[in-house]
Amino acid sequence: MTVLRLYASAALGIIQRDAVLFFSYRLRAVTQVVGLCFTLSIFYFVSRLVRSDVLGSPDRYFAFVVVGLVIMSVLQSGFTAPQLLRQELVAGTFERLIASPLGAAGAVLSMLAFPMLYSCLVAIAGLVYAKIVFDLSITWSTAPLALPVALLGGLAFGSIGLLFTASVIALKQAAGMNWVIAGLTLVGGVYFPVSLLPGWIRWASEVQPFTPAVNLLRHLLVGTPLPESAWSELLTLLGFVVVLVPLAIGLLSFALKAARRSGTVLEY
Amino acid sequence: MLAHGQTPTSSPGTDALEGESARADAAPVLCLDGVTKYWGWKRRGTPVLSGVDLELFGGTATWIGGRNGAGKTTLLRLAGGLLAADEGEISLHGLSPERQRRRYQRMIGFLSAGDRGLYPRLSVTRHLRLWAKVAFVPPSDRGAAVDRAVARFGLEPLLAKRVDRLSLGQRQRLKLSLAFLHDPELVLLDEPGNSLDEDGIALLSTALSVHTARGGVAIWCSPVGEAGPLPFDRRFVIDSGRLLIDGA
Repeated sequence: MTVLRLYASAALGIIQRDAVLFFSYRLRAVTQVVGLCFTLSIFYFVSRLVRSDVLGSPDRYFAFVVVGLVIMSVLQSGFTAPQLLRQELVAGTFERLIASPLGAAGAVLSMLAFPMLYSCLVAIAGLVYAKIVFDLSITWSTAPLALPVALLGGLAFGSIGLLFTASVIALKQAAGMNWVIAGLTLVGGVYFPVSLLPGWIRWASEVQPFTPAVNLLRHLLVGTPLPESAWSELLTLLGFVVVLVPLAIGLLSFALKAARRSGTVLEY
Repeated sequence: MLAHGQTPTSSPGTDALEGESARADAAPVLCLDGVTKYWGWKRRGTPVLSGVDLELFGGTATWIGGRNGAGKTTLLRLAGGLLAADEGEISLHGLSPERQRRRYQRMIGFLSAGDRGLYPRLSVTRHLRLWAKVAFVPPSDRGAAVDRAVARFGLEPLLAKRVDRLSLGQRQRLKLSLAFLHDPELVLLDEPGNSLDEDGIALLSTALSVHTARGGVAIWCSPVGEAGPLPFDRRFVIDSGRLLIDGA
């Protein structure tokens, strides 16, 4: 049995644990899906008011915002790791994980998986709801390609989540995380095209991975035209992944090592 | 076998010396060499532990006592690889918790003090299965390891129960079964007698005897006056950051 398989098996154990804990609150899953459907319904009726030169018809705005919302929910799931880690610290369960061969870093990385997988299922449910109830126009020929792009986006956002997790280990708080999420919602083009942003802030839409991820996914899922070529957007997203993943893992390892040295690794 | 809290009749410290001479030619399993630990970054003030030297050999159980806040838990966390020493070296079968972390941790069984450290909404069975995976027990051995852990601490009637529906003593038994589940070389027990009834203490005592009989090492930490159920091979106390032979 290779060590890699033992790591994979332990990670699977953490994913199963998270799934059992999540579904032990039986209404939680239902309320999340219903909540997303309510939000999509509201935006459908809001879209009926939109007569924009930038996006064209109300249906095109609805398609634009549906993808933005479901993708935001997926990418936001990468930010759950800091909260989960805090819960582990408070419950005293992180101690056992640090003392295991899986280790703290392996456990934290494994904690990212279930929220992301689950949010993907909720996102698919949201798209199906929008298709069935509001006749959302899905580009079936390119929709399957959305999966690897979503994975790349998830890696990029999971990395940002890991940076905040490192902050929880080092400073015992994920300071500014909600601001980052709110900021990304503003400059990432969730509710409106980034071309509407004033020039002085538009740069912010280009220095984070949400914009290329959501642009590509919109193009693949509902055929929204891309501001740049598909390859250019893909390379931009890939660039963020290549930089952020090792940076996040490196900082997480550093924070753990420093906290073990200072004796604060189990504090909360 | 001694009852929980009873003091062994043998002279403290004598056992340790006899044991050491008998094992003079054997390599120690756990080695702490000049281990010092401060709290925080700046290494100012009085260290929690200062220049701790300890060699433990296979097949031995050691009791470490001390007043509240003496540094017993810190010592266990250092030996368990949870904390890093500021000075000195720690090794288990020659492996370093820093440089060979994964192999080191595979040999550790750790019990934290108190009733924390469990997932309230997970059942006993799920805890055992999860830990078998996280402790890197090979898939072919997991079933047997879980069965042994269940039998060792009498968990059969509790398997389907969620942890938040267990009593404190039952939770402690589950935590103990997790510490022993993967048959570690070194078992680190922080106040293991907490909340256990007579049956629980007897099960723990048997588990420790089996563990040391197969060559394992155990450290039992508890406040002075709670010496545990075993005639320990060695007994120490921590006082002012120093590890001293009990009674010396």
